[in-house]
Amino acid sequence: MIQKKICMLGSFAVGKTSLVRRFVESIFSETYHTTVGVKIDKKIVRIDGAEINLVLWDLYGDDDFQKIRWSYFQGSSGYLLVADGTRRATIDKAIELEERARKEIGAVPFVFVVNKCDLVDDWEFDPEMDARLAAKNWTVLRSSAKTGQGVDEAFSQLTRKIVG
Amino acid sequence: MLEPLSQFLRELGFVLLEYRGQGVFAMLSPAPAWLTEVWGISQGNDVEEIALSGKSPFLENFLLEADTFWNSNNKGLCESETWIEKSRSGREIPLEAIALQSQGKRLLAIHSPEPQFQERVQLLQTARNSLLDHERLQREIQKKEILLHCIIHDLSQPLSVMSAAFDCMTDEHVSDRGKGLLELGRKAGEQQLMMIRDILQVFSEDLKASLEAENKAESGANLLSCAKSVLNAFSPVYAAKSVRLLLDDRIDQDGQWPVRGEATRIERIFSNLLENALRYTPPSSKVTIGLVADGEFVRAYVDDEGPGLPSDLSQSQIFALFSKGNKGGGKAGLGLYFCRLTVERWGGTIGCESLPQKGSRFWFRLPRFKPQPATSLRTSEPVAAKSSRGALAPKRYPMRILLADDQSEIRMLTTHQLERSGHHVVAVANGQEAIDVLQHESFDVVLLDEDMPVMSGLQALQVIREHQKPSGPTVVIALTGYNSEPDRERLLRAGFDSVIGKPFRLDALDALVRGSSTTDLPPVEAEEAAPSLKTPVASLLDRVGGDEKLAHKMIATFLRDTPQRLSGIQKALGQKNGQNLASLAHALKGSVGIFGAHVARDCCQKLQDLGRANNFSEIPAVYDQLKEEIAQLEANLRGYAGRKLSPSPGASPKNKRRSSKL
Repeated sequence: MIQKKICMLGSFAVGKTSLVRRFVESIFSETYHTTVGVKIDKKIVRIDGAEINLVLWDLYGDDDFQKIRWSYFQGSSGYLLVADGTRRATIDKAIELEERARKEIGAVPFVFVVNKCDLVDDWEFDPEMDARLAAKNWTVLRSSAKTGQGVDEAFSQLTRKIVG
Repeated sequence: MLEPLSQFLRELGFVLLEYRGQGVFAMLSPAPAWLTEVWGISQGNDVEEIALSGKSPFLENFLLEADTFWNSNNKGLCESETWIEKSRSGREIPLEAIALQSQGKRLLAIHSPEPQFQERVQLLQTARNSLLDHERLQREIQKKEILLHCIIHDLSQPLSVMSAAFDCMTDEHVSDRGKGLLELGRKAGEQQLMMIRDILQVFSEDLKASLEAENKAESGANLLSCAKSVLNAFSPVYAAKSVRLLLDDRIDQDGQWPVRGEATRIERIFSNLLENALRYTPPSSKVTIGLVADGEFVRAYVDDEGPGLPSDLSQSQIFALFSKGNKGGGKAGLGLYFCRLTVERWGGTIGCESLPQKGSRFWFRLPRFKPQPATSLRTSEPVAAKSSRGALAPKRYPMRILLADDQSEIRMLTTHQLERSGHHVVAVANGQEAIDVLQHESFDVVLLDEDMPVMSGLQALQVIREHQKPSGPTVVIALTGYNSEPDRERLLRAGFDSVIGKPFRLDALDALVRGSSTTDLPPVEAEEAAPSLKTPVASLLDRVGGDEKLAHKMIATFLRDTPQRLSGIQKALGQKNGQNLASLAHALKGSVGIFGAHVARDCCQKLQDLGRANNFSEIPAVYDQLKEEIAQLEANLRGYAGRKLSPSPGASPKNKRRSSKL
């Protein structure tokens, strides 16, 4: 079976762990538990009839307390870039992280996931930003780890990008 | 390995392994409990070597780093971050690995750092929760400030017009019932105003932190320290985008840079400007922070090498609420807006310009910090209007007043009121227009609305102050929708001579303007919609509330100034200077209106209209008529000026003598 390593990248508290848990275990918790260190999960997906074993590296959020070690990306086939659609700063952070990733590990496939789309009242990701990222040829998806909306699609689209 | 040492390592949760190659390790110390839990390895007599290959993706990844380390013959250690493995029972166990070399052996120590790990998690959880709380608070504060803005402008501005309209209508000849209704409307307006003030008060309480920061501004801040602090914080972000962030090397590092303001908020201003610069500046370019002395101010600037300012956006649009760059670079359109609000609150100004070569400069300037004396401007008494000087610069009466307000209704009503008091008013729609007018005409008083497009009142004030003559400083009064006491003090600190909050009663504005004259001035003049049946003096006494002394002074002023005005009109006519003629006729119109001289006033109005239209063919006839009317008026006034006036004009027999003209 083909095995692909995927990293979760983004600011803290954007929902990286929640996305993985929703995708792997179909579980969601309202309580925010910060990730310290690295957690690794696996899930087998079927793309066009072929089974692929995804090894998901859930990395801690990059902030002043913990900086991303780019050595974790060694051997990774792609990454899910995650932002919180209710916090504009995390979208800027994602843009910054993508630039750093391109510099550190080269052009690796990724999908940009704007999470927490269930929080409509606080949503700060406007169509203007959408258009701006589309102009960069980014694949941008909205997701909610809480409701499950867009989660499978995000991993599925990334896997398709990886296996080409 | 020595038995006590082995046991010691085991108790600490360590397992010491020697790498044999091919993913195989020899165990040099007993297996701790976690090793069994996670990978099912327990040390028995027959377990000397273990294969970790395939057991942990994280460890496999780390072994690549460790292998590089072992091959480098470097001294020291190569440590992994913490990673989490799940035990067979589902428990999450934190692990850390350390690679080292000793006596040519490639050693790997793996351990579980519990309970230190749990403490670390708790610490980071608290820190990140605090950050999230802080972000939430910031957003709430911004939302409230926006709401505050909306309350002031969306609710107060129409109220301002309503209030002024009621005031004017009260002066009209309306029935008692009509007056009652007008009073009802006026009271309802005042009630609504009080409610708005109550809401503002609630916000003031809620925004305690902001106010505290405001108070800290009294202690001043070092602008250079703020710039350096933000530069350090932003350097990594800039480096990530391959943009150099520098302090201008022309800055006097040993110089004193104390300014009015609070350090945290000044750093926020710098942060917003740097974020903005980074958004537009290309990779491999540089952004420079600079400071320069600017008289009583210190000017800070952020220069970038981006595309320069968008040609289709004015400065006021760039610093406006919700304004974002055309290329979608901005975020919520709040950053530069808050920079402007903050800087202006401290009596400073902010602006931007395209640089000659390439890029743009965003700058702000703040007053140099001077410790305030104990008797500051602060007062708890609610006041409708407040002056920093008490008595403003002495001027003549009637005065020449320049009014700048972007609201046409406010302009119309304020001009109407001031003109009825005899003043000559020029009204314009923004600060830039006011500056343009001031380049060609001089005024005794300038009324500037604080919040205007193109150029705000504060920006216009700075220009006026920079160019004013030391011998005759212009009296500048702020009209503002920000009605709190700190806002009044802020505007006074910024250099306004006086402040009047909107919505305002026109009589309060008139009183304030009149307070800037040395001569005793008439109170609000009654509307002269219909031709008056009273004599000029009776009309005047009506308007001054029977104050004969004041009436005498006003007559004297009129008799003294009018010939000069008439000759000015004649001169303008000879020069065919329509604008001057219109302006002088406008001023004279206000003066004759005080005496109820409707025909003379109509002549002035005609002259004003004809002058503005540069229609010089009809002017001589109207001017001749005006001279006749003025001559009659002067004769009438001179007759009264020499004797005591009756205390009650309405009861005077003279009032029964009617004049069709005067």
